[in-house]
Amino acid sequence: MSAAAAPGAHDGAVLRAEGLGKRFAGGWVLEGVDLALHPGEIVGLVGQGGHGKSVLLKCLAGLLAPDAGRVVAFGEDLATLSSVRLAKVREAYGYVFQNYALFDFMTVADNVAFPLRQRGDADERAVKALVRERLAEVGLAAAVGLYPRELSGGMKKRVGLVRATVTDPDVILYDDPSAGLDPVTSSKIFELIARMQERRAGSAAIVVSHDIDRMRAICARYVMLERGRVVFEGGEEDVAGAPRAVSDFFDLDGAGVLA
Amino acid sequence: MVNDVHVAPPAPPRWYESLFIAVGAPFTAVGRELRGDVALAFAALGAIFRGAAGRRAVVQQAYAVGNRSLFFITATLGFLGLISVYQVATQIQQILPDFSMLGAAFIQLMIREFAPTITGLMIATRVGSGIAAEIGSMVVTEQVDALRMCNADPVEYLVAPRVLGSVVMVPMLSIYAVLVATLAGMALGHAVFDIPTQTFLSLRLVKGPDIVLGLVKAVSYGFWIPIVAAHAGLSATGGSAGVGWATTRAVVATSFAVVLLDFVISGASYVIFSV
Repeated sequence: MSAAAAPGAHDGAVLRAEGLGKRFAGGWVLEGVDLALHPGEIVGLVGQGGHGKSVLLKCLAGLLAPDAGRVVAFGEDLATLSSVRLAKVREAYGYVFQNYALFDFMTVADNVAFPLRQRGDADERAVKALVRERLAEVGLAAAVGLYPRELSGGMKKRVGLVRATVTDPDVILYDDPSAGLDPVTSSKIFELIARMQERRAGSAAIVVSHDIDRMRAICARYVMLERGRVVFEGGEEDVAGAPRAVSDFFDLDGAGVLA
Repeated sequence: MVNDVHVAPPAPPRWYESLFIAVGAPFTAVGRELRGDVALAFAALGAIFRGAAGRRAVVQQAYAVGNRSLFFITATLGFLGLISVYQVATQIQQILPDFSMLGAAFIQLMIREFAPTITGLMIATRVGSGIAAEIGSMVVTEQVDALRMCNADPVEYLVAPRVLGSVVMVPMLSIYAVLVATLAGMALGHAVFDIPTQTFLSLRLVKGPDIVLGLVKAVSYGFWIPIVAAHAGLSATGGSAGVGWATTRAVVATSFAVVLLDFVISGASYVIFSV
């Protein structure tokens, strides 16, 4: 467990949403969402676009304050934390943003080094060595001095992945990591996710994606959102008994077999 | 798992409630905006006093606010000096053809009013729009969220260096603006109205309170312009349209802030110094 871990019972879950609700001007985007993430597991968060998946991830990371329910991370209710404590808890998170969210005024190396430098206790030589090593692992050794505007979409995703995982966090939230990428690059991204999760056996992850085929390789459990509500939670073996909307999404044929 | 949480839809407002909403909405919107500006100002001050603004970032922002505005300020204040002296001298010529006090009055007016305020308005449009667009685009591309996830406070990282850079550079630009406008006015006075340069360059009317007033205005503009603009940028929502709205809002709000501060500080000066 990370430095962010605090005493308190949390049933073994590192991250838990309890009756989570979030509303914007147009109404409720999330309603009564319950979700638990345990150490070492990778949960696939699926559903159609605009049904609240990204909003849920932001609530889980404390980037959005819920309007109902609560988010408990490492035994602590995020809504009750001071900004300093929340920042400390967030050190145990990694977040891969849908739109890359690379700092466009920094080079690739500085982007990746940023979370390490923010911790303040890292030796600069060690930071540089680690950044080079991690970028080399994803085939971006030659891109250290480039700026995000000089990278392709797939390269930006890889940099985002490395930045989110360079601190070896306990929880990693992947928001549609293959969005807008071609099938080959998407496969590489999911391979990288699997490799990053293997690096830290105890780390847990939530992966938002529409790419069910590639998620099958890494996810043991799925949560499906529809209009902001959880309509399915379970493994692939549970899909056959789920409502039609769920089996359709999982591309189940009439015989109850995953295609 | 299926959750069944039902939320009753809110009842539609009655006619008198709708009337109150229509009349009060602009005021509450302005109130919310001001509250947000003040909260951001306190957060930025806290970051500055904690020494959280990086020195390199402050120097970069000071360069962006100061050095990059030099041509803009030179052109604007130069023309203002020319126009002001021409208009006033033309009036004097018709009523009382004595230009002995023109330069002294012009320099006093520049120091206490026009140089800081016109500089403030120019910085509000040039720098304020830039700050709102830059921070707004960082918000809509989730870079601000990424900062938070990397344990970096956006106020410390984005707002405090801009505030410090601007607080240092706007007074400097105002002093430069006095110089430019005075030289331009003096040149025109000499060329068109035969006013001797030594007569024009008179500090007879400039008193301590005039200098204090001009500097207080410049420092205030330097502090509030990046605050108001950054607040507009941080409030941006949606995509590029949201950034556009944030930029427009920043220009309007910062320009309004400069005019309002000018009025408030001038009024306070009258009460304190009777000038």
